[in-house]
Amino acid sequence: MPTNPLLDTSLHERRRTRRMRDPEYRQAYERAAREIAQTDQVIRELDSLRVNLGVSKAELARRIDRNASSIRRLFTASHARPELPLVAAIADALGAEVRVVSRRGETKAASATGTGRKRTRVAA
Amino acid sequence: MPRRPRSASKTSEPPRVDRTPPWSIVYYTTPDGSVPVLEFLDACPGKIDAEFTAVLDAVAAAPPPQFSGGGKWEAMHGTMTGWHEIRLTGPGREQFRLFCLLENAEDVELLRRGFRKPAIAVITGMRKPWRTKFSERDYGRVRKLGDEHRVAL
Repeated sequence: MPTNPLLDTSLHERRRTRRMRDPEYRQAYERAAREIAQTDQVIRELDSLRVNLGVSKAELARRIDRNASSIRRLFTASHARPELPLVAAIADALGAEVRVVSRRGETKAASATGTGRKRTRVAA
Repeated sequence: MPRRPRSASKTSEPPRVDRTPPWSIVYYTTPDGSVPVLEFLDACPGKIDAEFTAVLDAVAAAPPPQFSGGGKWEAMHGTMTGWHEIRLTGPGREQFRLFCLLENAEDVELLRRGFRKPAIAVITGMRKPWRTKFSERDYGRVRKLGDEHRVAL
C-alpha cells in the first residue's frame, strides 16, 4: 500500500474496470491494445535482431543512410512514430523482412499444418 | 545449537523499490481533491479515452527506455523536457494529448515520496484542433500542475 494518501495507484485500474463494462469502450480498448502490441513487437524484434547480429545503432544508421540519433530515438521511444518505410529499411538492412499475416488466412494455415501465429512479424 | 531466526538479518536490509513491470499508474490529485486527468478523460470521446488507457497500460507493462506505446508515447523537448506525452488523433483530426511524468528516481527518493514501484504520473490532458499549436501558456499550466504534483509528494 502507498504510504502517501495522494498516491492512489488503484484509481486507474478501478476506472478501467468500470469503463470496460461499456461494450463500445471495451471494443475500442482491445483494438487499440492489439495495434499497440503489434507495433511494439515489430520494433522490439528489430532491435533484438540488431543486437543478436552485433550491429550497433550507428552502424545500422549508416547502412540505411539515416542519422544515428533517429535510430536511437526509434528504439527507445524518445521520438516514436515509426514510419513503415523506415521499419522496412531497417528490416532489410538486418537481412529480414516485415510480413503481414492475415488472421483468417492464418487460421486456415494453422488448421492445415497445426502451426502458425496470429501476428505481424519480422522474419529473418 | 539453535539457529538465529532469519527475520533478524532481514530487518537490517534497507527497503527497496520493486522495479519489475508493470509500473504503477497514478493520477495527479489537486489539494482540493479534484483529478484533472479524470476531468479531461471523461470529456473525451469514448474511443480516445479507451486508447489513452490502452497506451498507458502498454507503457506501464513495458516501461522506458524500451520502445512501447505503439508509437503514441513520446518524450517531449524544449520547455517540456522531462515530460512524456501520449498523442492521439480523434474525429475531425482533433488532437488529444495526455501529459505524464515518470517517477523513476533512486530507491531512497521514491520511497521517501511514498512510491513502492516506479510509476507513470498522469498529470493532465489537453485537446486542440488539427494544425494548431498549444501556446507556451498552455504548456505552462501543465508544468504548474506537474510542479504541484511533485511538491505534494
